[in-house]
Amino acid sequence: MKIKAREHATGYLFVTPLLVLFAIFLFYGFYFIIQTSFFKETLSFRDAEFVGWENYRMVIEDSRFLYSIVNNLVFSAAAIVIGVSVGCLVSVVLSIGIRGSKFLGALFFIPSFMPLALIAMVFSIMLEYRFGTLNQLLHGIGLDFLAQRWLSNPEMAYLSVISISVFLIGLPMMYYNADMTTINSGILEAAVIDGAGLGRMMWNILFPLLKNAHKTIILSTLLGSFREFERIFLLTQGGPAGATENTSVYIYSFVRSAGANIGFVCAASAIVLLIALSISVVQMLAFRTKARKGGRG
Amino acid sequence: MNISLVTRRQKRIITVFLYAFALVWLFPFYTAIRNSLKVNGFKNYVDLFMGDLNGISLLGTFRNSAFIALGSTVILLAVGSLAAFAFSKLRFFAKEALYATVLLCLAVPGVVILIPFYYILKNVGLYNTLWSVILSEAVLTLPFAVLMMRNYYDNLPPELMESASIDGATKLQMFNRIYLPLSTPALINLGVLSIMWSFQDFLLPLMFLTDKSVLTATVAVNTLKGLFGFSPADYGKFNAALVVLGMPGVIIFLFARKYITSGITSGAVKD
Repeated sequence: MKIKAREHATGYLFVTPLLVLFAIFLFYGFYFIIQTSFFKETLSFRDAEFVGWENYRMVIEDSRFLYSIVNNLVFSAAAIVIGVSVGCLVSVVLSIGIRGSKFLGALFFIPSFMPLALIAMVFSIMLEYRFGTLNQLLHGIGLDFLAQRWLSNPEMAYLSVISISVFLIGLPMMYYNADMTTINSGILEAAVIDGAGLGRMMWNILFPLLKNAHKTIILSTLLGSFREFERIFLLTQGGPAGATENTSVYIYSFVRSAGANIGFVCAASAIVLLIALSISVVQMLAFRTKARKGGRG
Repeated sequence: MNISLVTRRQKRIITVFLYAFALVWLFPFYTAIRNSLKVNGFKNYVDLFMGDLNGISLLGTFRNSAFIALGSTVILLAVGSLAAFAFSKLRFFAKEALYATVLLCLAVPGVVILIPFYYILKNVGLYNTLWSVILSEAVLTLPFAVLMMRNYYDNLPPELMESASIDGATKLQMFNRIYLPLSTPALINLGVLSIMWSFQDFLLPLMFLTDKSVLTATVAVNTLKGLFGFSPADYGKFNAALVVLGMPGVIIFLFARKYITSGITSGAVKD
């Protein structure tokens, strides 16, 4: 069917505001990043000096940068494992209907509604070595040997950053709750009649049935890890000695250091952007095949 | 699920286990509240709202946060619903390719786009104004808004268009009088989400708002941390500020949880 020119025009009229905003901020922004990445210049954007691929070479050869990407992946892997295990378990268990499940549900959701900056700040106070409440509690109940330098010992700092993910299972729980409403309870009843115990039911029936939620959580967590900033910036500043640095904190540290080479920042940004966009493509493909398989338009 | 999957004994074990987990969970809350009452007790809270904190008024920062949240939400709803309607119900050149491009932008990390935004905002004279954050937040949230609203419009019947066009309505009238009112639930979901995300935002205001008069609540606490000395009295006040900062989250949860849940899940899990 041929579409009239007028209809094309009407369509574009509706998307114009969106395209204008995107053109000014995002598309020009991408162009700006790529162009600037070939120059050596400061945040005053004066005295730009063309350096070719030099900035990219420096970024790729910087072990801190590679390490920050690895950290992104490690932190998101941990968040995924926690979301898919603890998040799934808690949502299923709450749906069984125990006493006070409404209150408990609220409790587990609330942190996800708060600024991550706030949570990171509270954790940093809580985990402080000398005055932090966690170590004080451990001293108080006579478990002194468990008290740790939670944030200044590299392994412990890793653990501390990851521990916040446990506090943020609200979002995975939301996906699981939504997915659980689509499960046909007949399947579960049949399993009960066949004599399946609780553990079997969880592992062999419920868990596989929730695969849509798993997929959403895995992809969105992975994508989110390249956006995440506050948790590490406010908890460890990427420290000790860069051990917990992720790509956002890495890039930001160069934005704010005096006399920084913005071309270098843009080269790092371009690489991170490319990775993030690739994950986004995977995500789109993953959901497109699903829609087709389900036979839904 | 209302079938008896578990025996009473299993239920009891699960309950005990879950409450133990919740107790550990409450520990950060306990930390913040306990520290906020140090030295001056509840007076820490009163002081927060009565006076300036090194030239920063906490109420003022909440006003800034609210203005930014409302501003970016209005832009998001207007621009997002218009575009989503076109992507769902109109036919035009390269529509699906354009839609895919918009969705791709879901992935843009804030920190990556910080420098170009800084450059653009500085050049148009919006740096250090609330509009800088309003616009950048709206731009970064728009892909999600388009995704979510398009999913919603896709589920509205196209037949309404046909009957309206027989009555001689233009596309804009169809949008305005028929589809926009029908999408009110989705608009509310999106609006609540957008307000919540705006209140949570840290990086954009941190970078674009450096004047004390335009600080947002989330960033103000970070600034206060630097400004306060390490005296125990300041420490109490600082922790009280943290508790106050958590309040919008609790309030949003109490009043708007279902909008957030259905918004996030309708945007992500397409079933």
